[in-house]
Amino acid sequence: MPGSASSTHRPEGLIERLRSAAEDGGEAKLKVLRELKNQIIGNRTKKLSYIKLGAVPFVVSILSSASSSSDSVLVQCAATLGSFACGVDSGVNAVLDAGAFPHLINLLSHSNEKVVDAGARALKMIYQSKVAPKYDFFQEKNMEFLISLLDKNNENLTGLGASIITHSCETNDEQKILGDAGTLKRLINLLEGTTSQRDASLESFATIIKENPQVISEFVGPENGRTWGTLIELTKDRYPRTRLLACICLILIKNAVPSYLQSIGIRTKLILILLELIDDSGQVGDEALFTLSRFIADEECLQKLAFEANTIDKLCVLMQKELLQPKRLEGMLMILANLCSNLECCRSVLLQSPKLHTINIITDALSHAIMDVRFAACICLKNISRSVKYLSAGHFMTEAVVIPLIQLLYDTSTTVQVAALRAISNLVIDFTMHKSLFVQNGGVKQLVELSKSMDSTVRLNAVWALRNLMFLVDNRCKEGIFLELRALSLTSLISDPSVFVQEQALGFICNLVNGSVDSIDYVFAEDALLLNAVGRQVWSASKPEVLIQGMYVLCNVSSGKEFQKEAVMRQILPGASNDGAQSIMVAMLQSDVAQLRTASVWTIVNLTIPTGAGALARVVKLRNAGIVSQLKNMANDPCLDVKLRVRTALGQSMIFGDFST
Amino acid sequence: MSLFWSVIRQLAEIEAMATSKKVITREEWEKKLNDVKIQKEDMNKLVMNFLVTEGYVDAAEKFRMESGTEPDIDLATITDRMAVKKAVQSGNVEDAIEKVNDLNPEILDTNPQLFFHLQQQRLIELIRNGKVEEALEFAQEELAPRGEENQSFLEELERTVALLAFEDVKNSPVGDLLDISQRLKTASEVNAAILTSQSHEKDPKLPSLLRMLLWAQNQLDEKAVYPRITDLFTATLEDPSV
Repeated sequence: MPGSASSTHRPEGLIERLRSAAEDGGEAKLKVLRELKNQIIGNRTKKLSYIKLGAVPFVVSILSSASSSSDSVLVQCAATLGSFACGVDSGVNAVLDAGAFPHLINLLSHSNEKVVDAGARALKMIYQSKVAPKYDFFQEKNMEFLISLLDKNNENLTGLGASIITHSCETNDEQKILGDAGTLKRLINLLEGTTSQRDASLESFATIIKENPQVISEFVGPENGRTWGTLIELTKDRYPRTRLLACICLILIKNAVPSYLQSIGIRTKLILILLELIDDSGQVGDEALFTLSRFIADEECLQKLAFEANTIDKLCVLMQKELLQPKRLEGMLMILANLCSNLECCRSVLLQSPKLHTINIITDALSHAIMDVRFAACICLKNISRSVKYLSAGHFMTEAVVIPLIQLLYDTSTTVQVAALRAISNLVIDFTMHKSLFVQNGGVKQLVELSKSMDSTVRLNAVWALRNLMFLVDNRCKEGIFLELRALSLTSLISDPSVFVQEQALGFICNLVNGSVDSIDYVFAEDALLLNAVGRQVWSASKPEVLIQGMYVLCNVSSGKEFQKEAVMRQILPGASNDGAQSIMVAMLQSDVAQLRTASVWTIVNLTIPTGAGALARVVKLRNAGIVSQLKNMANDPCLDVKLRVRTALGQSMIFGDFST
Repeated sequence: MSLFWSVIRQLAEIEAMATSKKVITREEWEKKLNDVKIQKEDMNKLVMNFLVTEGYVDAAEKFRMESGTEPDIDLATITDRMAVKKAVQSGNVEDAIEKVNDLNPEILDTNPQLFFHLQQQRLIELIRNGKVEEALEFAQEELAPRGEENQSFLEELERTVALLAFEDVKNSPVGDLLDISQRLKTASEVNAAILTSQSHEKDPKLPSLLRMLLWAQNQLDEKAVYPRITDLFTATLEDPSV
C-alpha cells in the first residue's frame, strides 16, 4: 500500500499515542517520545505543527511523573523539550507555559550523567531564545547556582551557565555583580576548555564587559596580561567562530576604554581577520560583517586602515559574485556606508568600480523587499553623496537613483523614510541643472506631505530636504515648491513645537528669498504672513541656531527694495505701544554666538546702505534704539567677520553725520 | 612539529650562505636529524589523533593499552559515530538520523545544511528503491519547507526531484546523485559534524604534517641538495644526487 509507511507518522496519530502514553505510562512512552523527537529535530515546520496540536504539555507531564520514569525516558523528554525550544520562540513559550522549567532544573542534579546532559542542553536552548525569562543575578541563591554551573566539569553545564549570562546580563549593575562574584575569572579559565566551552565563554564574557569601563579595567585589559594575551591568541584560533568572538571581545574593550588597542598593528590585524571571516558563508560571515561595520563606525583612522586593507575592493567583488542573502547585503552596505562617511578616497574607489556595478547594486538595494536592506542602502547613498566632487558632477541625480528614493518616502517604515530623507537632503543640494528631475518625479509633493507628519524626526528631515532642494534652485522650481508647500503651512513650521524643525524652516525661507530680488516677494504674500512669522520667532526664540536662521532671513529681505527694508525695520524695532522696550537687535549684537552677531550686523549693513531713499531715517531710528552705540562697542569684536561688518555699518551710518553727543 | 621548524631554520641558514646549491651529505644530514629531539609521547598522540579521527576504534583501544596514550575523546563515542557513518553509507539514512539525535540532539537542530543533506539523501534512497509515491510525498512534506527557507536548498531539491523525470537515470545529468560517492559525501559531512560537536578537529593532524614536510622539502630543493624523502610510505632518505 503506497504511502502507508509515512501515514503512521501523521501528527494527529502521534499525538493520540502521546496522550495515552502520558496517561497510562508503560513501555510505550519511550518509543513515542523518540519518534516525536526524531520528527521535530531540525524541522521547524513540524515543531510548529506539534506545538499547535498541544504536544508539549504531554511531554512535560511524562517528565513530571519522574519518579516512575526510567533514565532513558527522562533523557528523551528533555531532548524533545530542548528541540521544541531550539530556534522557535513559540516553542520556548510552550515549554515554559507547560511548567517544564523546574523539572528540567531538577534533572541537573540527577546521578546519571546522560540525564544531566540532556537537561542542561534543554535549558541552554531555552536561554538562547530572547523570550526566555530573565535570570535574577541579585538573588544570592541564583548567583550561587550560576557559579556552581560554571565550576562543573561538564561542558553542557558550563555552557548553560554561560548562556544564562549571555541572555540575562543587560545593565551595568548586573555586569558589576557578575564580575564581583567571580564569573569573569571562571569564564577566562573556561577559555582553555573545549571549543564549545570557549565559544560560550567568549560570548558571555563579551556580555559582561560590554560598554563597562569599570569592569574592564578591573578584570581585563593589557595590564591584566593573561586575559589580554589569551584573547589576542584566540583571534588566530583554528575555528572561525572563536576568532570572531575573540575579535568582538577586543573591540568591546577598545570601545569602552579607548586607551586600549591603540597599536596600529593589532587594529589592522583585527580588520584583516574580520575581512577573512566574511568569506564564511554562514552566521559567522554575517556577524563578521556587522562587527567590522561597528568597529570602524566612529573612527576615521580605523576607516582609513580598513580602506588600506582593500575592504572596498573585496566587498565590490563579493557583491557582484552572487545573489546575496539579505543579512549579508545589509552588512556589506553598512560597511561601505561607514567607510564613505568621512573619506573621499573611499567614495572615489566605490564610484569608479568597473561599469558602476557597485553603485548599481546599492541603488537596486533601495527597492529591496527587506526593510533593513533598504535602510542600509539609504545610509550608504547618503554618505557617498557627501562627496561634493561627485555631487557636482551630477553622479546621483539620475532616474535610477531618484525614482526609488522618492518611492521610499512612501515606505511603511519610519526609519526607512527618515534615512531616505537624509539621502535626499544630500542629493538635492548642489546642482541646479538636475533638481527638476526630482520635482518632475513627484518628490516635492511627498516631501511636503512628510513635512506635515506627526513624527517630529520625519518632519525635521522632510523640511531639511526641502531647504536643501531650495538652495540655489531656478525660479521655476522655486515657485513650484512654494506653491506646493504654501505660506500657511510654512508659518506653522516656523513655529513648530520642535526647535530643530523651526531652524530648518527658517533655513528654507532663507533659501527661498535668496537669489533674484523678486524672490523676496514670497515673504510679503498674504499680508506678509511669512515675514511676520519670522519676526515673531526672532523675538521669542532662545536657541541660537533658530535665531541665526531667522536673522539671515531678515538680512536677505533687507537687501531688497525700500518698502522691504522698512518692513524689516518694523520687525526689529519695538512697536509704538511698548516704547520702553529694547530693540531685539541689541540683544542679538550682544550674543555670545559669533554667527548670530555676524547675521545681525549684516542686516544693519543692508538697512543702512546710503543710496536708499529712506536710509537717513533708518539710521536715525537705529541710533535712537541704541543700536549704533552698541555697534561702536563692537569695533574690536574677537570675530574678524563681525569686526569688518561693524566697520562697514558704522561707516555707512557716519555718512549722515555723527549725531552722538 | 619541531622537525618542521628545524627544517625551516636550516632553510634560512642556507639561504643566508650561498648562491649556488649547497650539498649536504647523508652523514651530515643524519647528524642534524639526530639533534632534533621529538618526544615519544608527542608521536603517540599524533597516532592516537589519527586513529580517533578516522574512527579506528579497536586499533585506538589496543594502542591505548600498549602505549598508555589517553585518547582526547571517549572511545565509546567513536563506535557511535562509526555506526552513524556506516548507516549513511549503506543507505539507512533514517536510522542514521535517529542515531545522531541520540548522540546529541543539538547537531541536527543547529545545522540546517547537514539536516537538509541527510533528508535529501533519504529522498535519493527512496527514489533509488523505486518508491516513487513515497518519494514525492516525502519531498513535499519534509524537504519543500526547507527549500522555502533557503534558496540554495531549493535548487538542490529541484535537482534531486529531477531524478524522477528520467527513464535512464544513470546517464542523466543528475545521475551523480545516485552514485555511491553521494552517500560517502553525506556520510563524511555527518562524521565531521559529530566530531565538531565533540570539540574534536574534523581532520587528523598527521596528513597535514606530511603536507608540511613535502612543502618544506620543495622549498629546500631550490637551495640545496640533500637526502630527501620521496616515498612517504617508507620514509627512507634518498642519497643526494650530485
